[in-house]
Amino acid sequence: MSVVLGYDESPGALSALSVAIEVATAYDEPLVIVYGVAAPGVTGEEYGAHHEAVREAGSTALAHALRVADEAGVRTSVELIDERPAQALIEAAARHGARVIVVGTWGESPVRGALLGSTPHKLLHLSGVPVLCVPATRS
Amino acid sequence: MAKDTTDPGPPEEVSLKPDAIGFVDALVIGLNATSPAYSVAAVIGPVVALVGIYAPGVMLASFVPMLLIASAFYYLNKVDQDCGTTFSWVTRAMGPWAGWLGGWAITMTGVLVVGSLADVAVTFFLLAVGLDGWAANDVVRQLLTVLLILVMTAVCVIGTELSAKVQNVLILAQVACLLAFAVVALYRVYADTGTLDAISPEFSWLDPFGAGGASLTASLLLGVFIYWGWESAVNLTEEVEDSATAPGKAAVWSTVLLLVTYVAVAFAVVAYAGTAYLAENAAEEEFIFALLAEEAMGDWDWVVLLAVSTSALASTQTTIIPASRTGLSMARRYALPAQFGRIHPRFRTPDVSTWWVAAIAIVWYLVLFHISENALFDSLTALSLLIAFYYALTGLACAVYYRRQLTRSARNFFLIGLGPLIGAGLLAWLLVESVADMSDPENSYSGVSWFGLGPPLVIGIGIVVAGVVLMVVWRLTAPAFWSEHPSVVDPALVDGKES
Repeated sequence: MSVVLGYDESPGALSALSVAIEVATAYDEPLVIVYGVAAPGVTGEEYGAHHEAVREAGSTALAHALRVADEAGVRTSVELIDERPAQALIEAAARHGARVIVVGTWGESPVRGALLGSTPHKLLHLSGVPVLCVPATRS
Repeated sequence: MAKDTTDPGPPEEVSLKPDAIGFVDALVIGLNATSPAYSVAAVIGPVVALVGIYAPGVMLASFVPMLLIASAFYYLNKVDQDCGTTFSWVTRAMGPWAGWLGGWAITMTGVLVVGSLADVAVTFFLLAVGLDGWAANDVVRQLLTVLLILVMTAVCVIGTELSAKVQNVLILAQVACLLAFAVVALYRVYADTGTLDAISPEFSWLDPFGAGGASLTASLLLGVFIYWGWESAVNLTEEVEDSATAPGKAAVWSTVLLLVTYVAVAFAVVAYAGTAYLAENAAEEEFIFALLAEEAMGDWDWVVLLAVSTSALASTQTTIIPASRTGLSMARRYALPAQFGRIHPRFRTPDVSTWWVAAIAIVWYLVLFHISENALFDSLTALSLLIAFYYALTGLACAVYYRRQLTRSARNFFLIGLGPLIGAGLLAWLLVESVADMSDPENSYSGVSWFGLGPPLVIGIGIVVAGVVLMVVWRLTAPAFWSEHPSVVDPALVDGKES
């Protein structure tokens, strides 16, 4: 089994990363860090440029997460998946036989999350494995 | 399982889901980007005012260069699917200077039309729900329009969008409403139950040269505007099943469907209203479509008005996104400052360029509104100048980029070389003629003179000059983009994708 983490550069993701590292260490299981790169607005002009830009942002984010996880001594792999974040996580969880999906939350109101399509909100309803939501640390 | 990727670059299957969007979706998106109901509502008034009964002919004639340019988009998309559109293609074919200007024109057209879209969305919505008084109140209308632009921009930044299914329903409903209007109006003409002085449709209305002269070129240019945007279907890139050909086919079919709708509506408008009524209301060209919908549809007019409103509303989104993405694309190739390429970490959209688009759109809308109400129409004409410019550039780029492949078959020669070149030539001719006509302020809708020239020409020149100045400044401060060199089509790619 493994631990799947959804990671981007939002504040919640940092907290989620440290919790995911704790969980992976506790179970002594590999950590899979996932970034869904599908750009919003699938159609229209210059989609390719937008997609590339998101992919680059994803690579930067994953490089950072990988460094942190490495320092903590967790077996880690990273994946950029061409899906919206929620679908990417569900797919990766199925492929890696995930024990749990870890995501950061933003402290959004439930209604806003539902309207704007927040990733944790979608995961809670769609995921077949347990989802662990980690709130952003407030400074 | 330990760290199978140390470099977090593209690990495995990096291509987009190849079957995400089918032909029908691509067709619908092509139609939606053209926004037929909005285009008709915005343009039918001025066109009828310009050429009278020959409006159907103008609708038909402006289709010709569009179809030829469609071919250029089709073939350029075939060899350069990932990288975008006019900006990228023109840069590859003809170098950075032409490419930058093409990108500028395409972005500015997007930015400048947003105000008009939002204004039409607000006005027709108010008319549809019976708040005619609000629609007539300039302050309320401007306030709502600016609010609408802000909301739609926020929606674009957040990256929320209607599902493809809802969009399909909306666009099909829109075309259905337009055709219903045309059918009802024409039926009442023949049944002689019209409320106005109807005249019977004649085939001679299809003669685009009936009116002739300056009004012909001005109306053809507006005709170009109504077909603008349909090439979006071509740019769905890898998303589409059988992506090298499906988007191109969808683009051609959406053009045909548009043509039928536009010609039918033009016939209906002219026949139902009759020339006398149109001449009387020529000053109100902005509301002619709304007035006629009321006359022809009676209590059901809200159906048509709502179709126009949703059409314009949906188009604000399909306009803001491409404009901001062109900014993103240009920034990524160092043709614009880097912050335009910023991606919001959470929403994954180019938030900086999107807000810039909105800001310029709002300022533009308010300034124009205060100069004159008809200035919105003058700005549509100015937009048409820019559209003709970048379409012509794309047609030229197609022939240039493919120049080594043209003699390989008759098909290549006509569809890739001659067709786009003729299309580009027609648009260039239209551009030159219109510029000549518009240098006389008498020929603009507002009939006002700015610096001794027609307002649309001043707007058009202003945008081009601003573009050239910005380009030169950027060339001097950050020359990286100018190290790109023109190239030609990779022959292997042509063979590989040729079916």
